[in-house]
Order: sequence, then structure tokens, then C-alpha cells
Amino acid sequence: MSEDSNPAATPTPCQDIQGDGRWMSLHNRFVSDSKGKEPDVLFVGDSLVQLLHEFEVWRKLFSPLHALNFGVGGDATHHVLWRLVNGELDHISPKVVVLWVGTNNHGHTPEQICGGIMAIINVIHQKLPHAHTLVLGLLPRGKSPNPLRERNASVNALVQAEAASLSHVSFLDMDPGFIHSDGSISHQDMYDYLHLTPQAYQRVCQPLHECIKSLLDKHAP
Amino acid sequence: MSAEENPAAEPAPVIDVQGDGRWMSQHNRFVQECKDAEPDVLFVGDSMVQLMQQYEVWRELFSPLHALNFGIGGDTTSNVLWRLQNGELENIRPRVVVLWVGTNNHEHTADQVAGGILAIAQLLLSRLPKSKLIVLGLLPRGEFPNPLREKNAAVNNLLRASLPQLGPVQFIDMGGSFVHSDGTISSRDMFDFLHLTASAYRTISTTLHELLLQLLEETPQERRASLV
Repeated sequence: MSEDSNPAATPTPCQDIQGDGRWMSLHNRFVSDSKGKEPDVLFVGDSLVQLLHEFEVWRKLFSPLHALNFGVGGDATHHVLWRLVNGELDHISPKVVVLWVGTNNHGHTPEQICGGIMAIINVIHQKLPHAHTLVLGLLPRGKSPNPLRERNASVNALVQAEAASLSHVSFLDMDPGFIHSDGSISHQDMYDYLHLTPQAYQRVCQPLHECIKSLLDKHAP
Repeated sequence: MSAEENPAAEPAPVIDVQGDGRWMSQHNRFVQECKDAEPDVLFVGDSMVQLMQQYEVWRELFSPLHALNFGIGGDTTSNVLWRLQNGELENIRPRVVVLWVGTNNHEHTADQVAGGILAIAQLLLSRLPKSKLIVLGLLPRGEFPNPLREKNAAVNNLLRASLPQLGPVQFIDMGGSFVHSDGTISSRDMFDFLHLTASAYRTISTTLHELLLQLLEETPQERRASLV
């Protein structure tokens, strides 16, 4: 699917509809952050990335790895793509880029969302040819079974298949079993049936931390 | 401004456009909590309320006060009004209600937003005649000065003038501590220039907690008829 025909793979900034310019403020801060710092790990994506930075688990598991967090709530693949093409990767050389985005691509098909994620992976590879990209699977959402769970599962299957043939990309399924036997997700794990509670972050971040560490070890000269 | 003229004072549920029914799931959970719990304090509002419960400060300062959290991210005054009229006040008699909503009313003017908050305050005072109300002012937002800061400040000014006349209502504006002398807000206080970090929640919670303790002391506990 070419970029022209896939809106999820067309770099697009977020329009400031509300009137306080917050999205651009965040992007500008990330660009200037990237001029001063030398992260080994870069996290990029939507609110699931952004919120991770606000809880204790970030300080415990990811700060020690010299990680930067470029998550923006609400971002879909085309927003992340725009940010990475417009400066957020220009001054840093992380060894591992953790990418978690796609759940906000409302109105796009799983194929389009996968195309958007692959476009981001390509940009990362172009700008950081020595970095390894770790793509995180989209989590299920909503209290009960619904079309978005199916959409996210389809995206994961497509991305996992594409990633398999790329040596600089790995896919990690982030769902430790959030869906109970009755099909429900608990508010103890997702307080609004989308965003993770601190305890759920602890659960998903253990394997993520192990995975990143092993990628860093492989990367070491 | 009557409810007919003010869309911000019209109760309205959130329509499920995304497809996973999360707003209604959260509302239904709160209605269920009303059946099971006997809160002394009820927090109601938008993500500013909801996110507070995810930080340590909630467990330390507000859980011990038997507080319930009925915050939903993205909610406007209309959404909160609808929720309170549709089950989220059934069977509970909180002694204090903390209301924090209005920053998401993007379609409405400052006058309309203030009117919406007043409508919610009136509803709470009439449904809970023995309770006290704390209304939190809208915080400034955005990294730099912008129209939404002016709008939120205008809402606060209107509330400051009209809330006390409604009854046992206190208005607290904690926004001043977040704007630096150069007009900027730091991401150390608002990680996305809207939502508060753990340390910023700590700052505002100290004041709020003290006021709650004071009001709880002043307000007698109502026993449910079934317990007598």
C-alpha cells in the first residue's frame, strides 16, 4: 500500500483545534530534548507511552537504561510519523527504539494501521540505521468484547508477520492476559478500559524491560 | 441563563463513536459502586479527577476519607450533569462533594461553562441537602499564554462571584502556583501542559485534604435508614 493512498502512513501534524498549542509544544520539547541528551533507548508513541513516564515503574525500570519518552496522548500512526520526520530523531542515536502506537487510528482498517506502523519503522531505520526497533502489540480495550479488540488483534497479526522478515525489528506482545474468562477487562488493569493502571504497567513492563535489556546487550560492541 | 439557553447546562451522555463503549462502561461501574459503597466524600468530574486516583496521593490522603472517584476523562459539564441525573447519586450520602469539570467544554463560552458548573452545583445541593460542596477552579493550560487560559480564568471569576450564593459551597482556585513569571507552565507540573504530574497533584492535594478534613468535622454523618 503506497503512502499516498494510506492516510495512516501519511505524516500529518495534529491540528490545534482546542487553542492552546499543546501538541506542538510537546513536539518542540522533544526536539530540544533530543539535542541535549544521549539516550540508549527511545520510547515513542501515544498515551500508553506518555503515561508510563508518570509512574514509579519508569524511574525503576527505564530511567536506568537511559531512556527518553516521546509519547503524546491521542497520537495515531500518522502523527508519530510526522514527529519523527520533523526533528525528533535528528540529534540522537538510541540503540533501541520502542514503538507503541495504533490504538488511536480510528476509521482506519487493520491493513492501513499496519502500513502506518511499517512506515514509522522505515523512517526510524533510515534515520537510525544502527538502531533496533521493538514494536509493541496493541492491547485489547473496552470492558467487553467489541470491534476495536478485533481490529487491534488484526493489526498485531499483520505487524508481527511483517516484522518477522526484518532483522532490525522485533515484535513484542504486551498482553499478559488482561481479558478474563468472561471476556471482560477489569478497571483494576485499565481504569477507563483503555489506559493502564500503575499495577498493570508493572505487569507489562517486566517482560518489556527484559526484552530491551537483551537487545541492548546484543547491540553492545 | 436557563438550561434551555445554555447547552453546557443540558445533560448529555457521551456518544460512543470509537466503538468500545468505554464511557458507558465507566458510568455503569459508578452506578454499581453507589449500590455497594458508603462514601463520605465524592469526587466527580473529568480526567483531572480521574487521573488523581492513579497516583499514590489518592491512596495516602483520600482513600482513608472513604472517597469515591467518579471522574471520566474528556467529560464536559453536560456529561457530568447527565451522569449525576442518571444514577451516580443513588443510594449515597457523601458529606462532601468535590466537583472539578469545565476545561473540556470546547464548544462553549466562559459564561456557558460557568452556567454548566452552577447547574451541577445546584443539582448536588438539592439532591444532597446536608452535604457541603467544594468546587475546584479550572487550571491554566498550555505551555504559553493562550485563549484557553483566559477562558478558564473567566470561568473561575464567574464562579467565584456566584457559587457562594448557592449554599454551603467553597470555591478553590489552585491555578496560580503553576504559571511561572515568564508565563510558561512546566512539564514537571503538567506533563502534557494539561494533565498534572504526581508532584503537582501532591501540591494541590495538601490544600484540598486540609479543607476536606475541616468540612468533614463540621458535617454530621447521615446514617442510612436501614442501619438504624
